[in-house]
Amino acid sequence: MTYNIRLAGVGGQGIITAGNIISEAAMRSGQKVIMSEIHGLSQRGGSVTVDVRIGDCYGPIISQSSCDLVIGLELIETFRAIESFENVGTALMSTEKINPISLSMHKKEYPCLEDLMEKYGMGTRIYPVEAGEIAMEAGSSKAVNIVMIGVALGLNLFPMTADEVVYVLKDTFPEKKLGINMKALELGIALSGRMKTNIRENSTIQNRSS
Amino acid sequence: MADLVQFIDSKIEKNPVFLLGNEAIARGAVEAGIEFASSYPGTPSSEVGETLSHVADKLGIKFLYSVNEKVALESAFAASISGMRSLVFMKHVGLNVASDPFVSIVYTGTRGGLVIMTADDPSMFSSQNEQDNRHYADLAHIPMIEPSNPQEAKDFVKAAFELSEKYHIPVLFRTTTRVSHMRGPVNVGEIPKIKGTRRVFERDPERFVSLPVNAIGLKKMLMEKLGEIAVESDMSFMNKAQSNMVSEIGAITSGSGYNSLMDAVASHSIEIDVLKIGFTNPLPRGMIAEFLRKHDKVVIVEELDPYMEEKIRAIAQINGIRTRIYGKLDGYFPLVYELNPDAVLQSLARILNMPGYIQGKSPKTGVDLPPRPPVLCPGCPHRGTYYVVKRSVRMSNIKNPIYASDIGCYSLGTYDPFDEADTLISMGSSIGVANGFSMVTDQKVIAFIGDSTFYHSGIPPLINAVHNNLNMLVIIMDNGTTAMTGQQPNPGNELDYNGKPVTGIPIEDVVRGIGVSNVSLLDPYNLKESFATINRSLHQTGVSVIISRRECAIIRDRKLRKNGEIEIYTVNQDKCGKCMNCVENFSCPALFIEKGEIQINPSICDGCGVCAEPLVCPFNAIEVKK
Repeated sequence: MTYNIRLAGVGGQGIITAGNIISEAAMRSGQKVIMSEIHGLSQRGGSVTVDVRIGDCYGPIISQSSCDLVIGLELIETFRAIESFENVGTALMSTEKINPISLSMHKKEYPCLEDLMEKYGMGTRIYPVEAGEIAMEAGSSKAVNIVMIGVALGLNLFPMTADEVVYVLKDTFPEKKLGINMKALELGIALSGRMKTNIRENSTIQNRSS
Repeated sequence: MADLVQFIDSKIEKNPVFLLGNEAIARGAVEAGIEFASSYPGTPSSEVGETLSHVADKLGIKFLYSVNEKVALESAFAASISGMRSLVFMKHVGLNVASDPFVSIVYTGTRGGLVIMTADDPSMFSSQNEQDNRHYADLAHIPMIEPSNPQEAKDFVKAAFELSEKYHIPVLFRTTTRVSHMRGPVNVGEIPKIKGTRRVFERDPERFVSLPVNAIGLKKMLMEKLGEIAVESDMSFMNKAQSNMVSEIGAITSGSGYNSLMDAVASHSIEIDVLKIGFTNPLPRGMIAEFLRKHDKVVIVEELDPYMEEKIRAIAQINGIRTRIYGKLDGYFPLVYELNPDAVLQSLARILNMPGYIQGKSPKTGVDLPPRPPVLCPGCPHRGTYYVVKRSVRMSNIKNPIYASDIGCYSLGTYDPFDEADTLISMGSSIGVANGFSMVTDQKVIAFIGDSTFYHSGIPPLINAVHNNLNMLVIIMDNGTTAMTGQQPNPGNELDYNGKPVTGIPIEDVVRGIGVSNVSLLDPYNLKESFATINRSLHQTGVSVIISRRECAIIRDRKLRKNGEIEIYTVNQDKCGKCMNCVENFSCPALFIEKGEIQINPSICDGCGVCAEPLVCPFNAIEVKK
């Protein structure tokens, strides 16, 4: 069995870093991991995806029908990731918005969450996460990726423990940045506790109150 | 990145290490004891250089980014025939540039092991074509090795060096994007101490001087050598028959195709024997014949061209084997793009008659999420250049200009709102095609080329243009780095990848040396002056060169952020006239519209301030954020 994760976002959001942390933690827990990094044309600003496959598998490509978890660091990119599969087990979605210039150039505004949900969110269990605010609370807007890892851990969406992730964080970040990222992870885990309750109460996919 | 820092310290007791395919290749080369490496950066091969550049000095390896792939290969060849194990690596089209020496050094042979790594790009994630470089193995009669994953990448590189040294022949090491950019666990081995001393080249003109009189004998020797190497392929650990030969059906596969096949059969419990080939030229003919004989049906699973399939069908024919072979030639597998488990399953379902698995259509249609193509970064100097050129051309009333673009970040000038690329073919082709356009049309020809690309392949066509009295405006967009592949240095720099002083070669000296008299410099952050310069140049005849010089924004931001010096901008809504020029025509990714107002995203703005200039914002509404 393989557990398949797609991380999606915009170049510069720390998607590859997040993929590495998840992968290294899974490796630490004794599992086989394969991760794909497709560096497209863009240095910054384009859509970026990283796939992590945990378990017994050969290649980095996730089959259309077997994506277990989408972690989106940006709204539109989360839906783009969901749409690229036939079905997705669970999606964690940061409510961060990064405007694609294809919109502003044509004098259009960023679509609202409700519309996106209605159009693309049906049939997928989506957890919106106010990761941007929490990252700021942790000390840096750049820590959205780690907040999301924390939330996923708290919701038991990773086949590994928080300790294994903490070990990798300590290995990944220099002293100066470790504090912020540890805090981001903790806040993410804490938030997931509140989210669980919300989901159970509403039992709908449109849980926006977290 | 953690693994780069730990790269040298990755001892066997730390195993396994989580490495990218390209990092694993670098590690394998280091474990093989290379003493020389060279490259011209190109995705998806660039991380080999990223990795080596971090460790080369510490390990005593001579590493350099060469001006182009041809020079990189020739340098590595010289190191090899001086006795050093040498690695040279490039993207697939890079081998086209290096192809001239590539074919001939297989004739002359080598001394220290020489491995030539080429990274193909099926599905063209970051390339202009998806040429299948396996054909180069046939063209040059060079042995070829292909890994499927990072562990194999590391192990096979070592084997490639052994093979090269045993037969005094270069070895082609071919990966694809998915293998080069796949991260996985790798059991690393010991790193040997290398001699690191200078060598004495022992002359042997009968081998290394490829005059016809010598080449004629070398060709015959090469073919004999290749015969011996074919025997080696039949015994190689890189070629392996898997499973217990229980099945009527077999598959012969290699590289990334192997991964897709295995994932497809594993998830659907399809019983199939697999012959995995890592040593792909010469193919293990005996092993393949035996495998064919043992199966009624054999499926060839490979990406891009039916390279193995044609040869396997020939093996069957020569040996009188009547096994039914399925592949691309009979239409069961696609001739384009990379394979994936779903595509392989579809083909297998047709071959094995599994109707339940055959899909009628692709599942997702009608997705109209706003696209997010790659864009010029916030603060990118190319934005200013493209913005001003477009305006100048319009203001000068130039009808039907021809924009000849080139390979690099500035390729993105092809997208709206700039739309300033009519051709884009290969490194240096901007000036090359400008030669032809100038000869056969009366249109204004404007060539855009980056600094690194200019050094790589832009100089000969510029000589051609000056020599033949042609008309064109060449705009050399000098951001002081090879930006798109990750900010590798180029001959314009005063420091090498390691911060050691080297001799920077000013573009203006090269251009003037060629005989261009109209040479101007501009700063694309200063739109007003740029506008005047471009206007002037547009009205000149003959060859004019503008050097648009400004440091790459990524490098600039890195420095400024470190010192905490970034001043970001904001829109003063009281002053904003809502003309929308900034979002429509300048289109920095930091600018967006919310509730009808133009805003600047503070986490994206890099403070270049170009949008605040009157040529972009006539209302002076864009101000430094207090």
